[in-house]
Amino acid sequence: MFSAPDRPILEFQRVVFTYQRDEGFIHDLTFSVANGEFIGLLGANGSGKSTILKLASGILKPSHGFIKLWGKPLHSYKNKDKAKLLCYLPQLLDVNVPFTVRELVSMGIYPYDILPEMTVAESLEAVGLTEKSESYMRNLSGGERRRAFIAMTLLQGAGLVLLDEPLANLDIKYQIEILRLLRELKAKKNISIIMALHDINMAMQFEKVMLIKDGKILGFENTERMLTSDMLMEAFDVAIDIKSSQAGSTYISYKNDISPCCPLQRRGKGSER
Amino acid sequence: MSKIRISIYILLSTVILCTSLFLAPKVINPFHLDAMTKDILVSIRLPRVMVAFLMGMALGASGAMLQGILRNPLADPYILGISSGASLSAALCLLSGTYFLGKFTIPFAAFLGASLVSLLVGFFGWRRGGFWPERLLLAGIGLSFLFHAVLMLLLSISPGEHIGRTMFWIFGDLSAADWSLIPYGALFILSGFVISLSRAKALNALILGDELAHSLGFSVHRERLLVFISISLMTAASVSLGGIIGFIGLLVPHIMRFFVGADSRILVPASGIGGGMLLCLADLIGKTVIHPVEIPSGIVTAIIGSPYFLYLLRRKDVLGA
Repeated sequence: MFSAPDRPILEFQRVVFTYQRDEGFIHDLTFSVANGEFIGLLGANGSGKSTILKLASGILKPSHGFIKLWGKPLHSYKNKDKAKLLCYLPQLLDVNVPFTVRELVSMGIYPYDILPEMTVAESLEAVGLTEKSESYMRNLSGGERRRAFIAMTLLQGAGLVLLDEPLANLDIKYQIEILRLLRELKAKKNISIIMALHDINMAMQFEKVMLIKDGKILGFENTERMLTSDMLMEAFDVAIDIKSSQAGSTYISYKNDISPCCPLQRRGKGSER
Repeated sequence: MSKIRISIYILLSTVILCTSLFLAPKVINPFHLDAMTKDILVSIRLPRVMVAFLMGMALGASGAMLQGILRNPLADPYILGISSGASLSAALCLLSGTYFLGKFTIPFAAFLGASLVSLLVGFFGWRRGGFWPERLLLAGIGLSFLFHAVLMLLLSISPGEHIGRTMFWIFGDLSAADWSLIPYGALFILSGFVISLSRAKALNALILGDELAHSLGFSVHRERLLVFISISLMTAASVSLGGIIGFIGLLVPHIMRFFVGADSRILVPASGIGGGMLLCLADLIGKTVIHPVEIPSGIVTAIIGSPYFLYLLRRKDVLGA
């Protein structure tokens, strides 16, 4: 039911990564991403989602194994050429950048010598920041700031977009807006998107989900097969039910009692990990 | 930036330059020059204005770059310890009365000291294939303390006759400016300035953080190295031209950011020109207010700069939250 995988845009081949002081780890990771795939990278805190994105963007180099972008080793690209093929938005963004929204968003065209298709005005419009384009970044709310960074990333116009928790702290309206925008871009330009997230309901909006636990892939398949109670139990150590509403949409519900009178019980459950 | 603002800048700059050249401390009519006034104009005032402008330009531009790469609004070029190294080596020559290169001795010693300290700071700031802003900052502060202590030690055990001249140099002395040094100073400062202008986009990206700079196609460590080299060149040359001038490197980028915004492609050249103009003004004030006694320009910039800086500090929109 999904478009047949084209030539892989990104390939991980037996990638191993260890931080210097053993802070995190990626074990023997092998997967490939086809052109035009919309992938949710789902896992608990500390499972390795961010590390995988940093490896894919070339910020971190694998200790062993290969990463290929369009069939060529990732590290053989010049930075500027790579920036036209791949862009990455980190999870932690500086709250105190001195630029205005327009100045920041315009930086998306830095890898190019000519203007890319999507103009600054269009990408500001897309994230709903047209009216704030002359405001200073530090005067915006957290969600607005994040949308400005997303607009910059979109303007960069790369075929592979890596986003680390871009929807965190966003109003539900903008979570949906940004997902819709990314889908539109994908439909129009056949871009591939990998987005780290830990909201399971949001993950249902993706075509494919990669479940990560302790630096390993638990599974990487289309969403219905990945988001089952068993898989989620394994990934998050929480009993979760997947339910369908009468309208046909699916949603999750927690089996454990997390009624507000006993929040400690919930915390106790989490700390077992 | 509006046309009115640009016009105000040009007007202000012209007034400062004309006053420095023709009006103060004694009026010279440029249309009726005799041999003596022509000599004063060409061999004393013009080189002095040029030295002041070059020094101020170097400090303003490198301050703007440094605040960017260190992502610290309180950074100035001297925080890297460059000034303390230059002071120490210049003071060594001044206090011992050694002038092995004639009148080039002090500028040469200062440049050498500044360059050596830049290398040392670079050595301590380097780790895992690149510079790390916090390490550069801390290495600079650490080395500054050390060299400052040695300088104080030297001053405290030296005989009185050389101390005055040494102190005068340390506080920024433009009175010795003549044409002989300008070509060298201009060479280093202008090459540093050109490098910094060519890295302005990268600097903008680095201000967003290393990961985003990488994603935007910049090689983070290479860019930081180039920026560091251009800052070191400009600062070392500036110190060797006329000693230590405080506050320009810290203050001018903030003033300019208020007027032209934070985009380094505009901010760096604007800070360069603004720094040059501010130092010309400070020199003008220093040599006129209690004429014939001259106040070192470094003291003037600090006296007019600090209150203005504190005023800016009260304005949230200038220095951030």
